[in-house]
Amino acid sequence: MHQVHNIAVNSKDVTLLEILDRVLDKGVVISGDAVISVADVDLIYLGLKVMLSSVETMERLRGAPITGPMQEAR
Amino acid sequence: MIEDQLVYLYCVTNKEPELTETEGLAGSLYLISHKGLYAVAGKVKETEFGENGLKKNMADLEWIKANAATHERVIERVMADADVIPFKFATLFNTDQSLISMLEGYGEEFDAILQRLGNKQEWGVKIYCDVNKAKAFSVAGEPEILEIENKINGSPPGKTFFLEKKKAELSAKAVNNRINEYCRESFDLLKDLSFEARINKLLPKQVTEREDDMVLNSAFLVGKDEVSDFISALDMLKADYETRGFLIDCTGPWPPYNFCGLTNQKVASASSA
Repeated sequence: MHQVHNIAVNSKDVTLLEILDRVLDKGVVISGDAVISVADVDLIYLGLKVMLSSVETMERLRGAPITGPMQEAR
Repeated sequence: MIEDQLVYLYCVTNKEPELTETEGLAGSLYLISHKGLYAVAGKVKETEFGENGLKKNMADLEWIKANAATHERVIERVMADADVIPFKFATLFNTDQSLISMLEGYGEEFDAILQRLGNKQEWGVKIYCDVNKAKAFSVAGEPEILEIENKINGSPPGKTFFLEKKKAELSAKAVNNRINEYCRESFDLLKDLSFEARINKLLPKQVTEREDDMVLNSAFLVGKDEVSDFISALDMLKADYETRGFLIDCTGPWPPYNFCGLTNQKVASASSA
């Protein structure tokens, strides 16, 4: 695991979660025939998302989830 | 171009970056420049990043963690002296030529994005809530709940049961209202100090590995000159909220992952201050 520098300002512990949340899910996505694998990678992300959302569903079933007012609409 | 290698793209910038002593995913990095844009790239093995390899590796969390961290580190290095457009993890091309064609095709759009991002930084703000602690503060002074508490004192057990149930419902509603109010207030205040703002999906506890609940996951594009105001506002929010069961976690500066969408409607519709 690499040390993250530059991101330390005002935050006690920047977890890897912060990085994964951005690197895997955000950033520019180029589609076009020049690029290979992107569609497949997206499928894998989809897999990760399905995994995450099933975790969320489990949470909900366990009861009393706190939902913020401003969930991303998607 | 060697047959079993692919071209991995980290980011695009419009100022020639200094790459010495920066290691990529599989060794050194190199630049591909085209019409004033610089793509920061590196060669990776087809066996690791090709279709089959990637499918296998994306199931391996340790592999993802190590490689995502490298991806981030490279972009942060470039970001130290230039504005960057960060690409999503595992953006791959067959050859340098196909990357150049992409730069040719998207060049104007990249120029516009870099123009828009110029002299700004992405900051992340997450708010967590310790619900029990927040409940104590939310319930205190709610007239309806006080009324029920008064009724509970001296009621027969059967009636108490229903009153307690009603009280629990009202308390849950009060704490949810308070969470909504705090999140809205914080987001609006920080948005006013930013060029653009975004709300992201909340992450569940299994992912955050925290005891408290994430109640806001947001990102802000802040002008470099306004960062100190932004941080001061956060400190103010912290002082207000942290005694009431809320924890505000701010990270940055990040590469502008949340604000570099290509004609991304979500970004385009995000209001700017």
